[in-house]
Amino acid sequence: MSGTVEEFDAIVIGSGAGGAPIAHTLVRAGKSVLMIEKGPLFRPQADDPMRLSDYKRDELISDGPEKKLTISGLANSGASFYTSHVEPDLNDEPHIYRNSDRADYATIEGYTCQCVGGGTQHYGGVSLRFSELDFQLSTFNKGRNDLQKDFTAATQSELRDWPISYVDLEPYYSQAEKLVGINGTRENQIKTASVDNYQKPLPPNPISEYARVGMVSLDMKPYRTPQAVITEDHAPSGRKVGNINDVNWDGGPKTAFVNRYGDPLDYKSNTWVSLLRPLVKDARLPFSLRPNCVVTHLECELGKISRVHYRDSSGRQKMASARVVVVACSAIESIRLLMLSAEQSSEFDRRINQNDLLGKYFLTHCFGGASAVMPRRFDKSLTVDSDWATDFCGTVDFIRSKRLWAGGTIYNNTSDQALPVALARTHGATDLDTLWHAFNNETSVVGDKFLDFLNGQFNRRLSVSFMANQIPQKTNRIELHPTVRDKWGRRVAYIIKQWHPHDKYLMDTMADKCREILAFGGDGGKGHFDVEGSGGVYQSENSLARIANHILGGARFGNDASDSVLDRNCRAWHFDNLYVTDGAFMPTSGSGNPTLTIQANAFRVADVMLRNNV
Amino acid sequence: MSPSLVSKDPIYVLNHCTKYLARDNTDSRHNYGQYSDDDPRCRISEAWRFPLIDSYNDGQDSQLGSGSNMVTFVHVNRDGRLGDDIFVLGTFADLYDPIPLKQIEDSIYWSVSVVVPKGQSHRYKFLGGSRPLLDPVNPQVVTLADGSQWSRFFTEYCTDMLCFESWEAAVLERLTDHILPFRTTEGQRFLNLYYKELDREGKATQYARAYRLDQPVGAVNFIDKLVARQEIHRLMDYKICLEQIDRVLRTWDPFEEPARMPSTAFEDLYGALASNDRSSLPGWDYNKYSSPAFFLQLLRRHTYTGAFSHPKHGGNSGAAGWSFLSANLVDPETGKLPDSARGPGYFDWSRALEAPLGRNVEYQG
Repeated sequence: MSGTVEEFDAIVIGSGAGGAPIAHTLVRAGKSVLMIEKGPLFRPQADDPMRLSDYKRDELISDGPEKKLTISGLANSGASFYTSHVEPDLNDEPHIYRNSDRADYATIEGYTCQCVGGGTQHYGGVSLRFSELDFQLSTFNKGRNDLQKDFTAATQSELRDWPISYVDLEPYYSQAEKLVGINGTRENQIKTASVDNYQKPLPPNPISEYARVGMVSLDMKPYRTPQAVITEDHAPSGRKVGNINDVNWDGGPKTAFVNRYGDPLDYKSNTWVSLLRPLVKDARLPFSLRPNCVVTHLECELGKISRVHYRDSSGRQKMASARVVVVACSAIESIRLLMLSAEQSSEFDRRINQNDLLGKYFLTHCFGGASAVMPRRFDKSLTVDSDWATDFCGTVDFIRSKRLWAGGTIYNNTSDQALPVALARTHGATDLDTLWHAFNNETSVVGDKFLDFLNGQFNRRLSVSFMANQIPQKTNRIELHPTVRDKWGRRVAYIIKQWHPHDKYLMDTMADKCREILAFGGDGGKGHFDVEGSGGVYQSENSLARIANHILGGARFGNDASDSVLDRNCRAWHFDNLYVTDGAFMPTSGSGNPTLTIQANAFRVADVMLRNNV
Repeated sequence: MSPSLVSKDPIYVLNHCTKYLARDNTDSRHNYGQYSDDDPRCRISEAWRFPLIDSYNDGQDSQLGSGSNMVTFVHVNRDGRLGDDIFVLGTFADLYDPIPLKQIEDSIYWSVSVVVPKGQSHRYKFLGGSRPLLDPVNPQVVTLADGSQWSRFFTEYCTDMLCFESWEAAVLERLTDHILPFRTTEGQRFLNLYYKELDREGKATQYARAYRLDQPVGAVNFIDKLVARQEIHRLMDYKICLEQIDRVLRTWDPFEEPARMPSTAFEDLYGALASNDRSSLPGWDYNKYSSPAFFLQLLRRHTYTGAFSHPKHGGNSGAAGWSFLSANLVDPETGKLPDSARGPGYFDWSRALEAPLGRNVEYQG
């Protein structure tokens, strides 16, 4: 091991939604920052002298060729799996989850992306704020006698309000919306904004009109889904759009190569193009970005993280130190890193495990929706993913009327199955672990029937999804797997979780609303259109693995050191300089996609660091 | 014949190497049947990615696109064991004019990027420590008639048949024809017109890259490339099962070459493979391959992917599969096909993709 220890004001581990805002803020304030990212720096065309991107509009790049799971002792050893070029090889670094049969399975679920930008490279870009209610669900539910019976006193006892309010976070939501670059509309949202920083959305795909009509018919006030795709020149990041308002222009972001694709151009507002590249471009700024380097563990001296140990791109062991260390690897991997560090040092162990909460209250979302073959066919490839959203199921009136504990957001997806390989690959699949299964097994679909399949499915399907709060449970947790190790010999993450009965009730309720939207939208408001599929994720074959790539909780923040892992500013209790700023801090998972909230909170924490003179 | 060298920034090589090559594990976690147990590739993830085959843009006229790929050779030189002189030599250049690799910063990776025309396959070796070396990562190895072994790569749009004998490709073609919708009368009419149209309009680049026109959309060529590279572990499935299929077909009709048998024979064959009924496949050796239905499922995935994925992978010749989707899916309300004179139908694939295949004015491929 090299004995050299580089020193910085801050080290940020992970370059996605939780890490990039910290680096952006600190570097702009003149602080020296080292950002360590496990994955590569895949760049858009604008960054390459040959004007070629590492990201391609190629369906074979998003889910890759077949590989087979070789890890012995798992219930799905020998199974085929398909991963994109920025997801880990499961044989190198799997997530293991315990299924309802109490057997262990490896899964690709729960990974976002391992590349600069993290999950913001491949996400669909839906950038919702959480509602005011999402921050105080414990208070809201205390003493209620109108809840569904499956929500018990024990359930209530697990809830925690956030130690910050919507009002506390609101300025940072606005800051994130401005600096990241988001298009959408405000009208009809229940989340108030002090300033409207949205760019103007592009015209929706015609097939989304079914969703809008359905929402309007049901008095669910729609708004254009806020999405991290620029539609106008974006001054903060220096990005420019082309002739985007000319419908005949053969450019722009409407391609369907959005969700699960990195953007070869500069339209999708991932954290590389929006927050990090502007730092790298200015050589005067004290910013060091090290992609292809994996942090193996943290070392502490008393309450101070004194060393960050990592492997460089050649696998050689390196060290660095800083006044502040920020862990933002996405919740599962952040928890894992803290646990691996505790394995290395009794002092670290004693401090990070000062209570028994590390890894506990792991969360994703209650999610699901409805899908139907719509009356007409439209070219769904002309889309940036989602067009319409509604907060109808996030209002207090709705939540109380349905005897729910919390709400969610509904939006339509336009880009799903909009490309031909994706249509067959995801046909009948319930998750990323069951790709191709249904298509391969339907061997009667050949020749004429193949044409019938394409005629019946391609560019006619429309789905409406919900994303809603999941009940926090202490037994839902991240551990280190006892036997399975990654390519560096480190124990991998072990995911143990169950759906609460009220989660299932909530998902049924929300899925029915999604079904109604399509039923009313499909026949012009009468409500009789046939919707063939609707439901919550708990109904899928391996629902216990499903994470929606919304990886939250496991190190919740709070005001009481005995009841949380992090303080209200996301600093680990009993450490002077260790922060966790990905989704791990959340005590509840919110009523919508979490990325914007992670970004806003990271901007907030960075401000705190500056106030404390990091 | 000196190939053009490309000066890529060091981070490019690190970005495309680290995930696969940097590691501590000594176990065979990446061997699912494609390697012998002592093959060092067992330890490496996605060894097929090497050498790196990527887009190339000479910057001269991006609207025409590039007829070449950038091929990046990488050799790990841990602790400098191979010294400071590592070269690559191969048929893409003068075989007797080795090209030096350079160390990428202070890393263990040594690399060089060269420009190679699309549609080609080449053999190569490294020279390290004054010895010729097969690429220790790339699984593609060919043995020449003189017994010598070389590493191999191929560029995008390659139509050289790399894995299948001609009889294997012919039988496979009949099976893929049966799966895809192009064997229907309407489908065949569309393909004939489509390729004719391509020719008439002088889209020379696409036409030149369109695989044999008697092989609808080139699904077999796609499969050949897939099992040569990304899914090399599936090559043996094809080799075994095509032999078994040949035996079954000859049992059914000893007097006709399998590839020339009528379409009803392939319909029967397809049904028998799907049924997994042992009595329906006389001559199939179940000791060699126990599940014909599994092979059929594999073939379905590969065939569909080949017909509708980017043509650079060897199928979907001239984007015929995509164009079929544009032109042949009906308006559900009227049952009518789209009017080609009024636009691209229900799938304007060309709008998103690079020239000259597509017409996007920003994306370079």
